[in-house]
Amino acid sequence: MKLIRLSLHVCFFTAACFAAAPAPDAAKPGEELARVANVSGRYGGHLTIGQRSEPKTLNPVTATDAISREVIGRLMGDLIEINRSTQQTEAALAKSWEISPDGRTFTLQLRKGIRFSDGQLFDADDVVFSFNVYMDEAIDSPQRDLLIIDGKPIVVTKLDRYAVRFVLPRPYAAAERLFDGLAMLPRHLLEKPYREGHFAQAWSLNVQAGEIAGLGAFRFKQYIPGQRIVVERNPYYWKVDQANQRLPYLDELVFLSVGTEDAQVMRFEAGETDIVSRLNSENYSLLSREKSRLGTQLADMGPSLEYNFLLFNLNDLHEKKLDGVAARQAWFGDLKFRQAISAAVDRDSIVRLVYGTRGAALWGNVGPGNKLWINQNLPHPPRSLDTARQLLKSAGYSWNSAGQLQDPAGRPVEFSVITSSSNTQRMKMATLLQDDLAHLGIQVHIVPLEFRAMVDRVFQSFDYDAAIMGLGGGDADPNPEMNVWSFRGTSHLWHLGETEPATTWERELDQLMQQQMVTLDYAKRKQLYDRAQQLIAQNLPFIFLGTPNILASASSRVGNFHPALLDPYTLWNADELYVHGGATESAGVR
Amino acid sequence: MSYGLRYLGRRFVRAILLLIALSFLCFLFTEMAPGSFFDEMRLNPQISPETIAALRSHYGLDQPLIVRYGRWMRSALRADLGYSIAYNSPVTPLLWSRAKNTVLLAGTALLLTWIFGVPLGVWTAARRGGFLDRTVSFACSFLLSVPELIIAIGLLAIAVRWHLLRVGGMMSADFESFSPWARVQDILVHLALPVSILVLSEIAIILRHVRTSVLAELGAPHVQAARALGIGQVRLLFRHVLPVAANPAISLLGFSLAGLLSGSLIVEVVCGWPGLGPLLLEAALSRDLYLVIGGILFSSLFMAGGYLVADLLLLAIDPRIRNDVAEEN
Amino acid sequence: MALKTSITIAALAAIHLVLLAADFCAPYDPALQDRELSYAPPTPAHFKGSTGVHLRPFVCAWTTVMEGEDAGGYKEDCRHEYPLRFFVRGASYKFAGVYEANLHLFGTDAPGKILFAGTDGYGRDEFSRLLCGGRISIAAGLIATFIALLSGGLVGIIAGYFGRWVDEALMGVTEVFLSLPWLYFLLGVRAFLPLHLSALRTFFLLTGVIGLIGWARPARLVRGLVLSVRSRNYVLAARGFGGSHVYLLRKHILPEIWGLLLTQAVLLVPRYIAAEATLSFFGLGVSEPVPSWGNMLSGLQQYSVLISYRWLWAPACALVITSVLYSSLADVLHSRLESQTT
Repeated sequence: MKLIRLSLHVCFFTAACFAAAPAPDAAKPGEELARVANVSGRYGGHLTIGQRSEPKTLNPVTATDAISREVIGRLMGDLIEINRSTQQTEAALAKSWEISPDGRTFTLQLRKGIRFSDGQLFDADDVVFSFNVYMDEAIDSPQRDLLIIDGKPIVVTKLDRYAVRFVLPRPYAAAERLFDGLAMLPRHLLEKPYREGHFAQAWSLNVQAGEIAGLGAFRFKQYIPGQRIVVERNPYYWKVDQANQRLPYLDELVFLSVGTEDAQVMRFEAGETDIVSRLNSENYSLLSREKSRLGTQLADMGPSLEYNFLLFNLNDLHEKKLDGVAARQAWFGDLKFRQAISAAVDRDSIVRLVYGTRGAALWGNVGPGNKLWINQNLPHPPRSLDTARQLLKSAGYSWNSAGQLQDPAGRPVEFSVITSSSNTQRMKMATLLQDDLAHLGIQVHIVPLEFRAMVDRVFQSFDYDAAIMGLGGGDADPNPEMNVWSFRGTSHLWHLGETEPATTWERELDQLMQQQMVTLDYAKRKQLYDRAQQLIAQNLPFIFLGTPNILASASSRVGNFHPALLDPYTLWNADELYVHGGATESAGVR
Repeated sequence: MSYGLRYLGRRFVRAILLLIALSFLCFLFTEMAPGSFFDEMRLNPQISPETIAALRSHYGLDQPLIVRYGRWMRSALRADLGYSIAYNSPVTPLLWSRAKNTVLLAGTALLLTWIFGVPLGVWTAARRGGFLDRTVSFACSFLLSVPELIIAIGLLAIAVRWHLLRVGGMMSADFESFSPWARVQDILVHLALPVSILVLSEIAIILRHVRTSVLAELGAPHVQAARALGIGQVRLLFRHVLPVAANPAISLLGFSLAGLLSGSLIVEVVCGWPGLGPLLLEAALSRDLYLVIGGILFSSLFMAGGYLVADLLLLAIDPRIRNDVAEEN
Repeated sequence: MALKTSITIAALAAIHLVLLAADFCAPYDPALQDRELSYAPPTPAHFKGSTGVHLRPFVCAWTTVMEGEDAGGYKEDCRHEYPLRFFVRGASYKFAGVYEANLHLFGTDAPGKILFAGTDGYGRDEFSRLLCGGRISIAAGLIATFIALLSGGLVGIIAGYFGRWVDEALMGVTEVFLSLPWLYFLLGVRAFLPLHLSALRTFFLLTGVIGLIGWARPARLVRGLVLSVRSRNYVLAARGFGGSHVYLLRKHILPEIWGLLLTQAVLLVPRYIAAEATLSFFGLGVSEPVPSWGNMLSGLQQYSVLISYRWLWAPACALVITSVLYSSLADVLHSRLESQTT
């Protein structure tokens, strides 16, 4: 009797768990759904994806780290999305929009009848509420700065139940790209915490499933501290496939906190995870050797949009007591010196040894991965130590009897390069660079620093000679790069805190960037940005080194696996992913 | 036994002083280390320095050290260890949930180390110079020489290559759907690898210490006398040798207990076990100040407790020490 | 027993000698990169060549496989045979830091390369790096041990000898030292140091740090011993006769401690070598391009490297062998000590 009762309990328990994933809701009349063309799949099953550490919060307004954003992005919906595959904007929660001729006013028409994941209706009130929260100074959301253009905020007004108007303080090129990543918040759940002043504590990881709702393909199900977070299908998701079946196909998506990339690969090989978002080339080669045994799908998407570079400290050091660095700035500030260094860098070896041939050399800030914006006419001079030596000679440098390079004043040329100790690829680049410059008689000291220590030196204390860093990769559009190239920009790393452009070319660069920001026509913007790239490549504020390819892998179970060059590389189409071979298969040991 | 109470009292006071000193040093060190939690955002060209500065003052990071230490002290006395900036939630529940996992791992390893180490140590001492003694000694030297990191990585590589053990994590993905017995099995399977690494790293030390103290006792005059009287080997070991050899072993137990929370950092990080180790490492690297300090104090509490338990046990068991303590007091 | 001791001591002496003359024994400059030979396996020795069997082994050149399944790997190209030669002229180095020399124990004719232990990711000869790196790692271990025992011994003697509140205070400090999680703090220490430290200065700083962190445990042990010696009858008698502190320390206490210090020294050296390896593993040790066993092992952090390029485990094996030898020596000394006191 006891045994029967026990087994009944077990059956009930198991059934309850398995019956948990909600079925997609039938389409209601008046619901305007978005149809995704050329997508088909089968319902059921779950996929597991590994993450470097666990997410810290589920609050889209306060989340700062990429891991939290990876999870939040599946739970939330945006007004306008950037399709990661085509890199163009697409209608999302806003079914259409009109731009006024002066480019300042956006009128968005929202889809009608859309529901949040808890069944409540979505309308313009939620949109206005969301933007108010983002722009609230008391909350200090990092996304607030996106909505402040020229120091003035964007003005959001509700026109009617399903229409919203945005007025920008001035025309902004590709303004619709701003909307991607600004999640629409449910007013019915978050207005109370917002008014009571504890919005930042809302939607932490301890949230109950009933307190959180969004417009994404999935909704929050469960969090186990230190281990995993489980999200389940949103039955009210507003996208359908080509057969008018409501997406997503998956019952559940599990985010497993796995650790380093190597640990991720190990567990992927063991069959515990189904997708690895980003691999380095060594792990990619490892997996491709095992490919026939495991049936893994591997994707090499080509060069990414990030750029790695050697940066020289050209900051104004008058007030700081950094005489050593200031003396060495005489070398760094000389364009011929930087050109010589650039000529001596062995970019081929960087691509071969650091990226395992899965990368591309860079001579400018836009690489071959960014097909829309790359200036194809920039020269790509091959490595030449002779050119480097000639350039140095013409700048007045000479070599002493021991082969060391000396500046015109007779001082031996010697400097240190800092880099983040946790980034193995940049450390390798530093070692290769050290050897390259040794051929020129320059002694380079490599100083691996802990990440935050390095950032402190580059942004605050300016106590460094040179650094190897990386930027970019966020979006293909030039606008997010404003702060790097504008002389007033806060990421103008080689010379921070300029109130006036320090050189004529910086002045021209700033003008070009400002102009392209307000030019709405793509062809004209491209022309301006081409000239900007030329200036950057000629004047070498950064000595560009290389960029890795985006590499990803998925197990044979995963269907519709189409990784992209923009983050999130593999989950941007999470709503389209499905499991081959049936719903009840689980990720077992292979 | 009033001297016992006085001794306890002195130890207790020392433990409190230790904790205060530790907390201040932690604050000091983290203050001196350059950079703050929000530095990662500086690299994002789309976030303005004003927002970063506002966030810093929001969390009180721009206050001077003494002010922050004072505020933290006051809340710590109420058992509120502060707020984690990364998780935006209180520190104590975060630590507690992870500490349980660490105790499970380290406790199991401790148990197994002693269950295997002590008998082996006694056995090799009893059969000194024999084949078993020599192989075990060699194995011990080997294990002592290899840094824990290498043992961890080596075992991990073997486990993955030959699909021997479950790699990483504490539970399988569908843990909730398991019956209670299957759950226990699942956790045991996941425990196997990290526990093996810990046991291999620690067993050599225990074995050596037990062996040395038993050997020393076996050569003592009263044991020689007992043997001359014809008392058998086994009874000799258990009745005459072990109780005395227990002294250093108990000190060791105290050390092991003390290091329970902190000793498994490397193993947890390498194997992905969701314990205190990975949490604190990431917090230290990202300058999540209160989480780091809370974690260190948690571990130190355990440490002080472990030493205290060891000393108490010694006091209870070894009459020589009781006399010494009585004398000093 | 005596045989085992002599073998241990001989082996240790041999290792130290070889490492002392690392520049001479190593065939190539440890910093010389050969970007065509990244992750090349060790060169197999051949005795049977195109002209029959030789007594002198030779190696072939490694060429990269261009296509096919093994693309990126290496295969031998035996069209040219490079025999092993002794006392070869090669890369120049400074013997004892003063004399410029370029004689190497063995090598082969250029452009052939004898790779006993393969190459690392930049094509640098792993065997040369093993020898030169071993010099640094073992020196770090020895110096750190010296510092730790010097400071720990001093503190232990003072605490044990004067007793009472001095003892309490000093033991409190050691408890704090033992409780602090140094790994976390060391991760930030590199940030304080000036950027322009030469590799040599970084090395001394590193050994200093290890030694200064490690004084706590020896201090406790010495203190325990001094406490027990202090209360022995003959010491009390000497005090009764009016012996000064210095006399008591020199005549009675120090001799007892030498044995302990020596045993501790031999035990600590391998532990500090491993500590240097661990710190370099985390990026806190000697910086590129100077090799040390630790930073050579840090390349193994990557799982793919760990299992694909097994010859890179050489520093780990060297570390283990050295530690085992030191432990054996410690055992011998320990049993000598035991037999002396009983």
